[in-house]
Amino acid sequence: MRKQEWLIRPQEPIFNLKLKELLQFRYLLSQLVYRDLIASYKQTILGPAWLIVHPLVTTFVFTLVFGRIVKIPTEGLPQPLFYLSGIICWNYFSECLIRTSTVFKDNANIFGKVYFPRIIVPISLSLSMFFRLLIHISLLFIVMLTYQDQQYSFSFFRMITILPVIIILMALMGVGLGLIVACLTIKYKDLNFVVVFSLQLTMYTTTVIFPLSSAPKNIVPLIQANPMTTSIEAFRYAVFHTGNFGFVSSTYSIICGILLFSIGFITFNRMEKTFVDSI
Amino acid sequence: MAEIVLKVNDVSKYYNISNSGSISRDLSNWMSSKKQARPNGKLWALQNIDFELRKGDRLAVTGDNGAGKSTLLKILSRITTPSSGTIHGKGKITSMLEVGIGFHPELSGIENIYLNGAMLGMTKRDIKSKVEEIVDFAQVTNQINNPVKRYSSGMYMRLAFATAAHLQSDTMIMDEVLAVGDQNFKKKCIRKLNDLSKDFGKTIILVSHDKENLSSLCNKEIKLIKGMME
Repeated sequence: MRKQEWLIRPQEPIFNLKLKELLQFRYLLSQLVYRDLIASYKQTILGPAWLIVHPLVTTFVFTLVFGRIVKIPTEGLPQPLFYLSGIICWNYFSECLIRTSTVFKDNANIFGKVYFPRIIVPISLSLSMFFRLLIHISLLFIVMLTYQDQQYSFSFFRMITILPVIIILMALMGVGLGLIVACLTIKYKDLNFVVVFSLQLTMYTTTVIFPLSSAPKNIVPLIQANPMTTSIEAFRYAVFHTGNFGFVSSTYSIICGILLFSIGFITFNRMEKTFVDSI
Repeated sequence: MAEIVLKVNDVSKYYNISNSGSISRDLSNWMSSKKQARPNGKLWALQNIDFELRKGDRLAVTGDNGAGKSTLLKILSRITTPSSGTIHGKGKITSMLEVGIGFHPELSGIENIYLNGAMLGMTKRDIKSKVEEIVDFAQVTNQINNPVKRYSSGMYMRLAFATAAHLQSDTMIMDEVLAVGDQNFKKKCIRKLNDLSKDFGKTIILVSHDKENLSSLCNKEIKLIKGMME
């Protein structure tokens, strides 16, 4: 057996992917995803059913409040479908962000005692979030079946080409921002409260509860400044063929996603070595 | 002579004693930085550590509380970086700085063996080939499918030690883990470590306050006094 040689030095290169090491720990990745998916539902009555309770109840409330009472138009879509699709996207993004942002805090004990490439934990979180997203999307399809007579054009090809891009984009943004917050919270612990609070508010600036077409013309760019808007609109476009997104806003969102993730990744790589000393 | 598996070159480590931690304090520090030096200090945890280990060596790291033992082990196991100096190594290094780290209370014993093994960098196949031995060594055969939160603390620690001791690696780092279980189990652990080093050529680095056990097991010793080697 050939023995691997290694070296520990005070400073590591800034953009070091350590892919070889990641491959070595791929089994840990699957174990962490498993742990996250299974262990969190042990000793609960509903078990994994909790996964679909949240989006369903939120959709119900939104339909009641924004659909029936405030009567916000939904571009001809059945209201539950409109809200459910928005909620699914927003949840995926915000859960990725929140879970990643507490990665140091939640794992301080493990990180302080055993070494593995730390980036595996955020990756595993986004993977287990991805499985939840798949379940949510299936839920959306099931709800769609109950509205079969409605007028929206369903195209398998459109979905299979656009959806993967949107999902990756949302994951990049969520995890990227989450990593940045995670690194900042090592020093400034109060940031965690700001995150949850501002995520709740930011949701109302995206098109989760209203279509972009119903917003006044002069504030449309403002709404689109949040790259999540385009993701949600594109998601609705992919599934229902409604929604508003163009080349410029899509490019903008993709650049935002890549930028956020790169910044997050680099800061995370820098911090992972020294955070044990400062937490 | 056996080959050198670990070479520690002039390693030092300091901690910043900063008074930052809130945005407002950092800002005021930054504003006043031109007028007066920031009151940040350095606390040297380790200074000029130099040693090398050959295959099969069993090193005891001793010293009083706060002498830097744990910091040294943390650097060796890559949990934190040294402030200066380098460490060259050969082969896989696994560390056990606390018994049962990464065990999830809701998962069963067997699931935790896999999870813990994965954290130490093993593949599924590696772990599978050892599972039986681990369960047997830890004497938890009839409870192995129950969640570990139902284990007694003795069982819990035995399982954790057994998992770490059976996993494949070339160098093992252990911090105070010989404090597990009753006298019998402790003896069994020391026998196991001895076998590992003699029959499989594993290198072992150990911190313990138990002088008697250390001397029966180890062939080298580093005594740390206030972060320096004696």
